Amino acid sequence: MAQVPNKVAFPKDGAKTYSLVELVKGAPTVMVEKGPDNTVFSFPVVALLELLLVLGVSALLLLMSLARNAPLEEFANPTLTTDPAKAPWYFMGLQEMLEHGHPTLMAVVLPTVMVLFVMAIPYLDNDRRGSGRWFTSPRGRKLTWNTTLYALLAMPAFILLDNAFPPRELLRGMAPDFIAQFAIPAVVMGLIVAAPVLALRRQRPTMREVMLVLFTMLFVSAIVFTVTGFFFRGPGFRLYWPWDMPGGYSPFDNL
Amino acid sequence: MPTWIESITRSRLWRSFFRHGWPDNPLDRSLVMTSNIFFHLHPVKMNRKSLRVTYSFGLGVMVVIVFGILSLTGLLLMFYYTPAIEHAYSNVVRLQTQVPFGQLLRNLHRWGAHLMVILVVLHMARVFYTGAYKPPREFNWVVGVVLLLLTLGASFTGYLLPWDQLAYWAITVGTSVAGYAPLVGSQARLFLLGGPEIGQEALTRFYALHVMLIPAAIVLVTSLHLWRVRKDGGLAANDAD
Repeated sequence: MAQVPNKVAFPKDGAKTYSLVELVKGAPTVMVEKGPDNTVFSFPVVALLELLLVLGVSALLLLMSLARNAPLEEFANPTLTTDPAKAPWYFMGLQEMLEHGHPTLMAVVLPTVMVLFVMAIPYLDNDRRGSGRWFTSPRGRKLTWNTTLYALLAMPAFILLDNAFPPRELLRGMAPDFIAQFAIPAVVMGLIVAAPVLALRRQRPTMREVMLVLFTMLFVSAIVFTVTGFFFRGPGFRLYWPWDMPGGYSPFDNL
Repeated sequence: MPTWIESITRSRLWRSFFRHGWPDNPLDRSLVMTSNIFFHLHPVKMNRKSLRVTYSFGLGVMVVIVFGILSLTGLLLMFYYTPAIEHAYSNVVRLQTQVPFGQLLRNLHRWGAHLMVILVVLHMARVFYTGAYKPPREFNWVVGVVLLLLTLGASFTGYLLPWDQLAYWAITVGTSVAGYAPLVGSQARLFLLGGPEIGQEALTRFYALHVMLIPAAIVLVTSLHLWRVRKDGGLAANDAD
């Protein structure tokens, strides 16, 4: 064991009845100047709240199960392709993206970038202030709703325009596949996502506000693509109104 | 306290079950939480701010509840299901037509799976928009993203099991995505399906993933997730000024 240096900042004085035992760094553990204690005993409040949630969720699920049966089609037949052939609904956003660019870009690069970005959010925005409050500030709330509105306009516009004027068809034979299917969609989607961040630059946004914009772009776009793929894609994976699908196909058959 | 309750809670049988008295005083209300395996995940006292319904909407708790319902219904479904391509479909048909409440059981599992995906996504949005990922909770946010991916994996692997047209072609479309990855794509798809086409090997693998590997991973990672919530100071609402 290492020797404790003899010279101490607060020497023990035999004439005194007190001595400095330890220096505590950080906030005091006593509740001095911390405001009134705003806590309740977890039991029974939390136990009752959780019991209520158990009953509520079970009732909801039971009602759903009584209202509608799980789908079951014919025995799997590898030689008979269904039209349209759709992935489970939560992957329909991915399948919709595949319609708008090179598979490696849409099914591999962009999803990987999205997951890594979402995981990196707390390391990009590591300011402790503003945690535990919805949208952190009134300005954050306004930014979130404006971005939502923008994404709800920009992403459907991108889907419809790309569907009407697909670069891979228009540029066939004129430009290599890499340009038409990889570079162009990547640049266009990148610009759509970056535009609100660039527009925000003059207002000197905090990192939290940049994250609010980027996550909202990602979240709302994911919903737009999922809804488009699930509700608006019919036979031949072409766009139709959900209530006007040919051949008696209903998007809900795919749940 | 009525004497009959007292005589029960003081009996040797009761005391062998519960290490605390009737929870009508601060000490026993604390002991309930610390000495009960179901309650010990919770703190003894909670901040009123974190209990506000409009703060968390209880979404994370609801995910745990739906996962519990899915485990229970899934276990019951296992009694009627064989993961073999010549039996799987007829097992499901028999479950729906001949087993009492079989259709209801399958409905609960199916709609529960969809509900869980929706709740996990909503929970993630709630945590993001309340800024609850900020330090010291940054690692728990990453754990949460892993749980989202595991939830999608659990739902996706279960999708193949009825072995009907819907299942077969949805998994065909879904796994073809894996094949688009450069260099490792076709190998990854082969690893997942156990062959070039979706057949018995794919069903065996998806079944093992669905009933064992992924649920076990979800239980383990969720334990870490909830433990970290406690260690990082409970809900972020506590820190808000």
